[in-house]
Amino acid sequence: MMKQSVLSFMVFLLGMMFFAWDRVSAENAASIEDAGKCLECHAQRGVVKKFENGESVEAYIDPEKFGSSVHHALACPTCHQDFSEDHHPVRRFRSKNQFRIQSTLICRQCHKDEEIRKKSIHANLFQQEQQGEVPLCTDCHTAHAVAAISGGRLTANEMQYCLSCHQHSMKLPFNDGSGIPLMVDRSELSASAHSKLDCSDCHYGFSSEEHPQRNFKTRRDYSIASADSCRRCHFDKYTQTLESICHTKQSQGNLNTPICTDCHGSHAIAYVRIEKNFSILRCRKCHPDIYDTYAKSVHGKALFNEENRDVPVCIDCHKVHNIKNPLTLEFHERIPEMCSNCHANKAIMGKYGLSTDVVKSYLSDFHGMTLGLYKKQREALSKPARPIAVCTDCHGIHNISSTHDMPAAVVKENLLKRCQKCHHDATEKFQDAWLSHYKPSLSRAPLVFLVDLGYKIFLPILLVGLFLQILLHIWRYAVNR
Amino acid sequence: MTNHPDQEGMKIRRFSRGRIVEHALAIVVVGILVMTGLSQKFYTIDFSQWLILKLGGIDNVRWLHRCAGMVFLMLIVVHIFVAMVGIVARRWQPSMMINKNDFTNAIHNLKYYVGLEKAPAQFDRYDFKQKFEYWGILVGAFLMIFSGLILWFPIQATRFLPGEFVPAAKVLHTHQATLIFILIAIWHIYSAIFSPDVFPLDTSIFTGMIPRRRMELEHPLEFARMHEGGARADVSRSP
Repeated sequence: MMKQSVLSFMVFLLGMMFFAWDRVSAENAASIEDAGKCLECHAQRGVVKKFENGESVEAYIDPEKFGSSVHHALACPTCHQDFSEDHHPVRRFRSKNQFRIQSTLICRQCHKDEEIRKKSIHANLFQQEQQGEVPLCTDCHTAHAVAAISGGRLTANEMQYCLSCHQHSMKLPFNDGSGIPLMVDRSELSASAHSKLDCSDCHYGFSSEEHPQRNFKTRRDYSIASADSCRRCHFDKYTQTLESICHTKQSQGNLNTPICTDCHGSHAIAYVRIEKNFSILRCRKCHPDIYDTYAKSVHGKALFNEENRDVPVCIDCHKVHNIKNPLTLEFHERIPEMCSNCHANKAIMGKYGLSTDVVKSYLSDFHGMTLGLYKKQREALSKPARPIAVCTDCHGIHNISSTHDMPAAVVKENLLKRCQKCHHDATEKFQDAWLSHYKPSLSRAPLVFLVDLGYKIFLPILLVGLFLQILLHIWRYAVNR
Repeated sequence: MTNHPDQEGMKIRRFSRGRIVEHALAIVVVGILVMTGLSQKFYTIDFSQWLILKLGGIDNVRWLHRCAGMVFLMLIVVHIFVAMVGIVARRWQPSMMINKNDFTNAIHNLKYYVGLEKAPAQFDRYDFKQKFEYWGILVGAFLMIFSGLILWFPIQATRFLPGEFVPAAKVLHTHQATLIFILIAIWHIYSAIFSPDVFPLDTSIFTGMIPRRRMELEHPLEFARMHEGGARADVSRSP
């Protein structure tokens, strides 16, 4: 009894399986057979559907692509419902767009709105539809080559896929009530340094199947989180920023400190080096006073009034990614090096009739020599050192002005004040001890020049005379023996 | 203590203990001054930087240089004081004074070297080379002390002197140091160590004694005078 019922159950199962198999194979046979008939024409190149406005679309189907699409099991009339082997109606469309709108309606016969709405990426599409803009399924999913949702990118052209939504004005709202436009300008993208990247290269975590909803308190929070993407490729720059004072301030809670996108932009990312003013403007946001001072300086004036490209901007001295605290001794010690980048360069200084000896004359004098040795001994002996006057101490920092434009008396007066900062009892005569970068000559510092010249003549004579005397003495000694 | 100059192979006292100590101190002090000074003048070369770091930094080097400079200044002051007192009160002969003979002797020796004279010039207590070296270094010492003090105290110095004196003092100090260095390193070292007459070392300034043979040869006039009046203690005490 028991045996009989088991046997009959198995027969029932087998029958069911056979029935199912038969159904699938019958359906496949129908679609392939059906498609085969359609493909007689539509697998040929040159079959074109013309629209009333003159646009056209090629009615060509790649059998291979269709065969590997998710819809490969469907027969052509499943979607193209009016068509069959013996019925091929001529339909008229005003435009390609109207044709595609009609096609989208076919998709939505099977893919119900509730189903589509479940994917957050589609949420905006319904919003658009309410505003009168009909979203086209085929924009992203294509028509015949539609791929499986679970398998990677849907389209070969990811940018086109993403832009099908992000070309429209949308907004990402933040908890504080503000928002950020989600519209991406295609022309901006293609002109950017990243024109060859795909969207998901930066917006990782986003793809056709993943479009996570994220919540940010403010727009700044969103920007800071987004700028994290940059480090995936630009890791060297990222590690440099970790050493910067701006990063330190950020980790202390100051969210206004610059992040990658503040200076480089986001979608319109460009080679910043091309535009010198650009970085200045970003620095100005937090340092407006310094910007104003700089604009009045000899460098700032040349940049803004003459569009001079030789002058230093913020990042030339403060560096770009690893901006250090400029109030440290280490930074102070590096200043002559920074200035000499240009002021010891004959090609640059020659243009403006400036002497390149200024750096040399500084370095060979007391301050320059001491500074160099202090630097060395701090590295070797980790010995604290006193601050030593460098270029900026006399010439100013952001307010550097040309000494040629100033009356000599004013220069002297300023210099004395500067000397007295360290040499408290310095008198007016003391500042003359500094030859203002000039090489001693008969007209400038004649005493120094003459002393130097006298020794330079006398020393070689003395040296030669002494040697001659010694040689003659040895020679006489040798002869006498 | 002194042997009788008449005895062959005997040594004669040439320098008193004061001069020996003075010279020994001068070696140490000038040695320190040259080492610390040259490493400041040529501060970019590796050895200088090594020395500066070994001495604990440039501030230490400058401190050491100035201390040695002060000792050097004192040596010079004491030297002049002793010489003045000796000449005025004890009637020492001013044997270091340059006179006309020194120039004629120099020309005479030059002629002798090239073969125009048969014998070298006859010298008294100091020959012309020693005298020129002595005055070269003494005058140089004054210039070094003067310029060194300006560089040490530029603010105080510019109360009395024009500011330009400071860079001028720097140029003078560095060149005069080179001059003294050349005098000592080339001439003095040659005549006290490498000269065939004294090689391997003229020990007279360390022991105070000079062999009678060399005395006869190098300082015949002084030797003759000693011979006339016997071994006179005051001769050996003159500077």
